[in-house]
Amino acid sequence: MQSESLAASVFEGRLHPLTIAFSLLKAARGIIPAMSLLFFGNKVFGFMLLMAVVASTVATALARYFTFTYRIEGNELITQHGILERKQRSIPLERIQEIRVEQGVLHRVFDVVDAKIETGGGGGAEASLSVLSRSEVERLRRAVFERAARVRGEAGAGQGEERVAVAPGRVIIRRLGLKDLALLGLTTNHLISALALAGAIWNFAEDLLHDSFYKRAQETLYRESSRFFMRDAAPAVALALAVALAVILIGMIFSTAIAIIRFYGFTLSLSGEDLHRRYGLLTRRSSSLPRRRIQVLKIEEKLFRRLFGLATLRADTSGDHRDKEDDDSGRDVLLPITRRSAVDPLLRIFFPDFDAGPTGGAEVAGGVEWRRVSRLAVRRGAIKGAVVCALAAAILFAANWRMAALWPLALTPLVYFVSVANYRNLGYMLSGRYFCARRGWAGRSTHVVPIDKIQAVEVHQSPLDRRLGLATLSVDTAGQAYTGGGPRINNLPIDEAREIAAALAHRASATRYIGDRRSRIENG
Amino acid sequence: MIEEEIKPFESASEPQRRTTDFRPLDSRVVKLWRVSCLIGFGVLLLSLLIPVVAAGVAEPRTLVWLAVAWLATASAAVWFCLWYPPRLYRSWGYRIDAKVLETRSGRLFQRARLLPLSRLQHVDIERGPLERMFGLAALVLHTAGTHSANIRIPGLEAAEAMRLRDHLIEIGGDDAV
Repeated sequence: MQSESLAASVFEGRLHPLTIAFSLLKAARGIIPAMSLLFFGNKVFGFMLLMAVVASTVATALARYFTFTYRIEGNELITQHGILERKQRSIPLERIQEIRVEQGVLHRVFDVVDAKIETGGGGGAEASLSVLSRSEVERLRRAVFERAARVRGEAGAGQGEERVAVAPGRVIIRRLGLKDLALLGLTTNHLISALALAGAIWNFAEDLLHDSFYKRAQETLYRESSRFFMRDAAPAVALALAVALAVILIGMIFSTAIAIIRFYGFTLSLSGEDLHRRYGLLTRRSSSLPRRRIQVLKIEEKLFRRLFGLATLRADTSGDHRDKEDDDSGRDVLLPITRRSAVDPLLRIFFPDFDAGPTGGAEVAGGVEWRRVSRLAVRRGAIKGAVVCALAAAILFAANWRMAALWPLALTPLVYFVSVANYRNLGYMLSGRYFCARRGWAGRSTHVVPIDKIQAVEVHQSPLDRRLGLATLSVDTAGQAYTGGGPRINNLPIDEAREIAAALAHRASATRYIGDRRSRIENG
Repeated sequence: MIEEEIKPFESASEPQRRTTDFRPLDSRVVKLWRVSCLIGFGVLLLSLLIPVVAAGVAEPRTLVWLAVAWLATASAAVWFCLWYPPRLYRSWGYRIDAKVLETRSGRLFQRARLLPLSRLQHVDIERGPLERMFGLAALVLHTAGTHSANIRIPGLEAAEAMRLRDHLIEIGGDDAV
């Protein structure tokens, strides 16, 4: 049998020889500032210090390369390095969520990669293998996931579960072209990108230019503009508009460029149970996650994207740690952009047993469909908004005692329409295996949770909720780093909330993981 | 593998779901909460006494007012420590059926938490010095969740807490995430 030969074979590996070069290069960045000592400080002392630093760096790099080994022993991946103090780390195979691969520009020249091994625990990568050849990473990935699957298969063997041992070929789910990426960039919040750009330019300019230049520029600008504005208001308004337009335009160009650099050549594919992502113009990144590890999937439709019928998909595996770096490297999204209408077919790929109705539609007949919360939500939202408006008006009025300061009161009708719109978009959908929740009008987000991933359910009632007979239902899952928390629905009638909570908890309790993501309902 | 028919939500009257009544905590927990509340406020009030006395010595005329304010605060605290625990006790309850543990708590803001027993990662028993004095224990249930990763049931009778823990470990404990 295949599994036996797998168990018998020994998997061992070492880092790529270029590891030395790359570690030296990385260290060089730290050494360069120290070089200034040579020119400014005591030359002999500086030189000796520099030599010491260089020598220790070279020694560390060599030691790392020659002592670093990794191997698979039993059900564990073991990494080991160090001469005097041997550091060993064992990672249970079934806990490995993904092997993430990053390839910078220089890495690409030599066809090597940085590999990071991620597990469910928070706190980033469990082990970092830097650098490996591309073929070696492929070998490692195959070994890890095949063995992990075998371990799971054994665990589920008692239940008569059969498992496909070798992953079939790769199927491409979605590929993003330049047009998609341009769309992605154009629908990002431009103001923020423009400000970021302005900040970057400012920083850069500050280094280059002398202070007196600023002062002169500022004075000239002030003089010219005051002369300009004295004559007429119209050109002033036109100028302000032109500046705003220019800022937005630059922001659009900038965010499109970022989108293309970050996600160039984005490919989402499926091989066997694993979803693979590959993307990046300069640094190429690739990662894979077993689809049954998805705890929550979020369909995010922010204002601009919603207007154009676009959505972003985010997914959480069980790690709950989010780095700033994750956002910059695009790790936080499963699919950066897609047509909203294409999401439902995609859901069936991510969740093969997805059995709820269409997530996009408002009301769809037949099957499982969206349900709305209590109609009281509208009244509540409107009153809350009206109170805010009244408070704002009162504060403004108190500040300058003019009738014109009461303008926030004019927004009250608008508040009503917003709460109606919010009410229309707030809802949930409960099927045999999935729970979906949706909220938000201008920017809408939909959470999809497999019921077997539910960790706890909570029904919460504030004093006001109690008076209206309403409640908030929230569902807790493992790992909510990228989806911003699990589903939460407020303004549910209390009895309905209790009923859903009980149903969710009981169904969650009845499901288990057996081999593949196929859950089983037991009657007890 | 046998795929069983899953009922849609409309007919979600799962047979295993028999609603039982909530069980209360051990009534000694009222005393425990009162004592720990008094200790907490006591420490705070005593440490407040230092600046009060210092200010009173520096400015003897204000001493009376400061003393009155301090006494008022102290009596309010004592009243709260006596008044609140029995009410909190009445709001607390838990129940376990074959699949789910449910707790309810809170007076002003009420919440019910439901924990599918197969999601239980591990169970802790916590007994502080005060709890030992009263023969009580708290049960802490851990899941792999994010926001309510652990559920704490305070004020169980110690033997009952042990029994509950063993029972939960026996029926729960499917670790997979």
